[in-house]
Amino acid sequence: MRSVFLLLPALLVLLAFPGARGRYNDDFDDGEDLAEFDDNDFAEFEDVSEDAVETETDPPPRAAAPSATVEDDEDEATVELEDGQDEFYDGDTQDQDSFKYDNEEFEGYEKTNPTFKETLILREVPAHLQNSWESYYMEILMVTGLLAYIMNYIIGKNKNSRLAQAWFNSHRELLESNFTLVGDDGTSKEATSTGKLNQENEHIYNLWCSGRVCCEGMLIQLKFLKRQDLLNVLARMMRPACDQVQIKVTLNDEDMDTFVFAVGNKKAMGRLQKEMQDLSEFCGDKPKSGAKYGLPDSLAILSEMGEVTDGVMDSKMVHFITNNADKIESIHFSDQFSGPKVMQEEGQPLKLPETKKTLLFTFNVPGMGNTSPKDMDSLLPLMNMVIYSIDKVKKLRLNREGKQKAEKNRARVEENFLKQTHAQRQEAAQTRREEKKRAEKERIMNEEDPERQRRLEEAAQRREQKKLEKKQMKMKQIKVKAM
Amino acid sequence: MTFNNMSDPRRPNKIFRYKPPSTETNPTLEDPTPDYMNLLGMIFSMCGLMLKLKWCAWIAVYCSFISFANSRSSEDTKQMMSSFMLSISAVVMSYLQNPQPMSPPW
Repeated sequence: MRSVFLLLPALLVLLAFPGARGRYNDDFDDGEDLAEFDDNDFAEFEDVSEDAVETETDPPPRAAAPSATVEDDEDEATVELEDGQDEFYDGDTQDQDSFKYDNEEFEGYEKTNPTFKETLILREVPAHLQNSWESYYMEILMVTGLLAYIMNYIIGKNKNSRLAQAWFNSHRELLESNFTLVGDDGTSKEATSTGKLNQENEHIYNLWCSGRVCCEGMLIQLKFLKRQDLLNVLARMMRPACDQVQIKVTLNDEDMDTFVFAVGNKKAMGRLQKEMQDLSEFCGDKPKSGAKYGLPDSLAILSEMGEVTDGVMDSKMVHFITNNADKIESIHFSDQFSGPKVMQEEGQPLKLPETKKTLLFTFNVPGMGNTSPKDMDSLLPLMNMVIYSIDKVKKLRLNREGKQKAEKNRARVEENFLKQTHAQRQEAAQTRREEKKRAEKERIMNEEDPERQRRLEEAAQRREQKKLEKKQMKMKQIKVKAM
Repeated sequence: MTFNNMSDPRRPNKIFRYKPPSTETNPTLEDPTPDYMNLLGMIFSMCGLMLKLKWCAWIAVYCSFISFANSRSSEDTKQMMSSFMLSISAVVMSYLQNPQPMSPPW
């Protein structure tokens, strides 16, 4: 029992280090029931703080005679709590006689004890004062996530870069034999081939080639998947997508006859017909199957007229397309290409969008995202097809009937456009006229000289009179004609 | 036919310089992700700083990382760095004011 009593000062000292739970466990090892102290993290605190309260209040009550009864009360109270406390308090009560405190020193002090005990609030130790990293598990999770993102960024960036380089290495020879300028970023003074891809993004690479017969230039865009963005990688696990190579060949006016044509997989054709300005205007019919020409069923054709399809789909072209049908997303030849439909704001006078003779090719890289640099070689035949198409389009000429149809189509489209914007253009003209009138009136008002003012007013009146007369004449003429 | 195949199709006198496609005419072709993420990151970091919410600050850090990963090479690095620094400062300030660990929402 004495040994237990000697532990009390030790406990007092240990109270100063609330984080050192381990030490408490060691102290209680001799004979005490460990399970009671392991129940919750703060069992020890409860016991110790109560003990602390009691050891602190022990000296005062010990001094007063009635303190024994108080202590007994406390003993009774604490006995209910835990069995392990009995030895403690037994030790206390036994030793109180030999305790050095003067019993009369603290008379009247015990009254505060019960209230002190009732108002005692046991607080949890804040988590950040506990010396354990486990409580910071959310932060550790966050940092791990960030590290994973950074790792994925580096890996994805490198993979895209390797794929781009592999593509360029396999196509370099073909391009250099066809174009004088291979690789240009537009910034250097002289037009010299840079011989490398422009990196627009971590997933988009450009290459501009120029200096060839039959075309102005060719822009190749390698649109890879966003392998460097972890969110995108996770999204792609739900919805697989593939890398794409987009080729846009711009032609001079004399390089192409007037026609609009597209071939590609059915989904792409449906989408392009809705999105593209020229395809929606000139190729109004639904995409047709290419089975007549020997194309696989997965592909569909959009064409301005049958003659165009016959002209484009010669045997070599069919051969190219059939052999690479899985890689072809869309092929679009157009002399009226102006990009996708642009949503116009209300009330703005529209001008016909500028058109350019263009050949557009979109190819899917095989592998559905899991591409390796070796797969880039399989795109080489497609580049051959592109070169062949450029030469072919130059030679393809519609016959007289075809040309007439084409011209009619274009005139029709223009007329429709003018009709649609007629109201808007009228409004714009009206506002302009009103502006002019207002400006003139202001000028007249601002004139200091009353004489000049009168003269200007008269001139304006005469002009208006003339206009009215003109209008009346026109109306009369129309009426006569109608009759 | 054979003459065409044998001759060199290259024409040095027909070189056109590369003109980067203007994005004004095709706003739909531009990927808005880096701009949105940048803005989101700034909003979250301001929320985290003002309202002392730790999770806001952490999301801001993630947003600025995502914005950086998706950014175009022509974009200003100063903008990226400033949003990144703002989000890091939001995290640090949240922890200085309140060193308690984050509690999960569940």
